[in-house]
Amino acid sequence: MLKIENLHAEIDGKTILKGLNLSVNAGEVHAIMGPNGAGKSTLGYVLGGRPGYEVTEGSITFDGQDLLELEPHQRAAAGVFLGFQYPVEIPGVSNVQFLREALNAQRGGRGEKPLSGGEFLKLAREEAKKLDMDAEMLKRPVNVGFSGGEKKRNEMVQMGVIDPKFAILDETDSGLDIDALRIVGDGINRIMRKPDKAVLLITHYQRLLDYVKPDFVHVLADGRITRSGGAELAHQLEREGYAEVAA
Amino acid sequence: MSDAVLDLPSTREEAWRWADLGGLAAAAALAPVAEPTHEFLDLPGARLLFVDGVLDEGRSRLCNVRLTTLEGDDHALGRRAAGTGWSLRLDAQGVADPVQIVHVATGGENHLASEIVLADDAVAEVVETFVGAGWQNCFTRTRLGKGARLMRSVRLLQPAGFVSLREAAEIGEAASLVAVFLGAGGQGSRIDAQLVMAGEGAFVEYGGTLLTSAEQKQECAVRVNHAQPNGASRQVWRAVASDRSQVSLAAAVDVARHAQKTDGEQSLRGLLLHRTATVNLKPELEIFADDVKCAHGATVGELDNRALFYMQSRGIPKARAQAILTRAFVADALERIGDETVRAAFEADADAWLDAALQ
Ligand SMILES: Nc1ncnc2c1ncn2[C@@H]1O[C@H](COP(=O)(O)OP(=O)(O)OP(=O)(O)O)[C@@H](O)[C@H]1O
Ligand SMILES: [Mg+2]
Repeated sequence: MLKIENLHAEIDGKTILKGLNLSVNAGEVHAIMGPNGAGKSTLGYVLGGRPGYEVTEGSITFDGQDLLELEPHQRAAAGVFLGFQYPVEIPGVSNVQFLREALNAQRGGRGEKPLSGGEFLKLAREEAKKLDMDAEMLKRPVNVGFSGGEKKRNEMVQMGVIDPKFAILDETDSGLDIDALRIVGDGINRIMRKPDKAVLLITHYQRLLDYVKPDFVHVLADGRITRSGGAELAHQLEREGYAEVAA
Repeated sequence: MSDAVLDLPSTREEAWRWADLGGLAAAAALAPVAEPTHEFLDLPGARLLFVDGVLDEGRSRLCNVRLTTLEGDDHALGRRAAGTGWSLRLDAQGVADPVQIVHVATGGENHLASEIVLADDAVAEVVETFVGAGWQNCFTRTRLGKGARLMRSVRLLQPAGFVSLREAAEIGEAASLVAVFLGAGGQGSRIDAQLVMAGEGAFVEYGGTLLTSAEQKQECAVRVNHAQPNGASRQVWRAVASDRSQVSLAAAVDVARHAQKTDGEQSLRGLLLHRTATVNLKPELEIFADDVKCAHGATVGELDNRALFYMQSRGIPKARAQAILTRAFVADALERIGDETVRAAFEADADAWLDAALQ
């Protein structure tokens, strides 16, 4: 589904990703762990197409097409979802408006009919309920005044409504309380654990991986994947630290 | 014809600091255009169609509005408007259906005076729309008696030319004036307002949204004079400037020595869609009373890039994301319009402008 080869990327002239290789097949969950500043979020932004993140070498193909050729919104329509480490506040734009615009733009891009206001609200309310988010919050401006955990939960509501094919979830577990962690973990499994879908989970902790069992775990350090393994690698990392395991 | 322009004050005078007076002469000298069509909103009440400053009686219904001879004021723009104009006068407790006024200009210049005089506890709503070309200049004198309420909405949709509005209002005891302006055409504009809080507990909301593109210039200078205690005034203005256009907003609050417990708020915000555009903001306070609450904020910025990318990453194309964010930015200033039909029309005009500007 996703193939990243020899990816080099820079921000403001500073090289962050330095020859990263990664392949993700349909049906797989990959976890990416690594020290602060290693380039994990940068990888997510490059996949999402954030302006200012310049790819200087290498390639990314998604479902056989050159992802780097696509505008950010076209990547979304192709099925890529980026769950933000720091979800953005948008004053004056309600969650309902935001998400409906997003969903219908994606549907339009795929030649599907837009959902009516009623159909959309029903879908959004159901998804909010499954993620234990008060439906009233859908009416509030996007992420404005939301607590850290509420923002992350809101990311998952968006993912549930959009129903993407491939999700990059950047520290979706940070800021969540113990119950929320389980709810979000269950949500990821429910929405994404399907044979035709795949997930890239960026995380610092084993806790989320207890709920969402990864098929592969990678260590990203200094802009490269320095080590890959199965689920047990995460445990080893938690015991021994990056310096020991992936030097 | 255009020698009229010459007796306007020089730009050196402070109130005219940003004034683009050359624009007036240029607007008046534009080639005439065919009369543009404009529909009235679906509201009951009076409908007045002025073509080049003259009432088209066949296409108007006056209801409780009269035509009469009116004076100007001592302001350079207001003075020019003296002559036959429209007058809405309501007796105590009077309630009128909404009054709609459409000003159509085909070119040249025209000057029109008007007055809105509401006796105690009277309630009125006036909606004005400017379309066409040339230079249209209007003077409006408003007097609100004790407890009277006026909702005014004014939209400037002229694709070219210039619209100048001179406003003088006296707000009586516990009376309320809410005025919302929308500049969403291609014209230049100048709004000059002098509002006097003449009675205790008077309330004013005065603001709007000015949208400019290309080489357009819109300016607005509002002065609220709190002459009596317990008054509240809110000036909420949002400016969006693209290309090489310019918006200038000067909002002043004067509080007289005995106007204690005055609550004055000025919220001026500008959004630059391009770095080549300019928004000038000038909030001003002159306070002689000691027990007052005056808040003012003035900020100019660009669209939040992080929000733009967030929206794009969810599938919203960039131009649409920009339109949504810009629309959210101006929403504050338009949502003061109390009448739903009017508000929807103004919002649609703002949307149309945004869609065109963000192509
Ligand atoms: N605009 C920028 N200019 C220069 N360097 C930048 C810029 N933005 C980010 N960086 C640097 O890029 C590096 C990688 O950042 P990134 O956010 O990808 O790290 P991360 O692995 O996600 O870290 P964390 O675990 O703390 O979230 C960091 O050293 C960061 O300081
Ligand atoms: Mg990060």
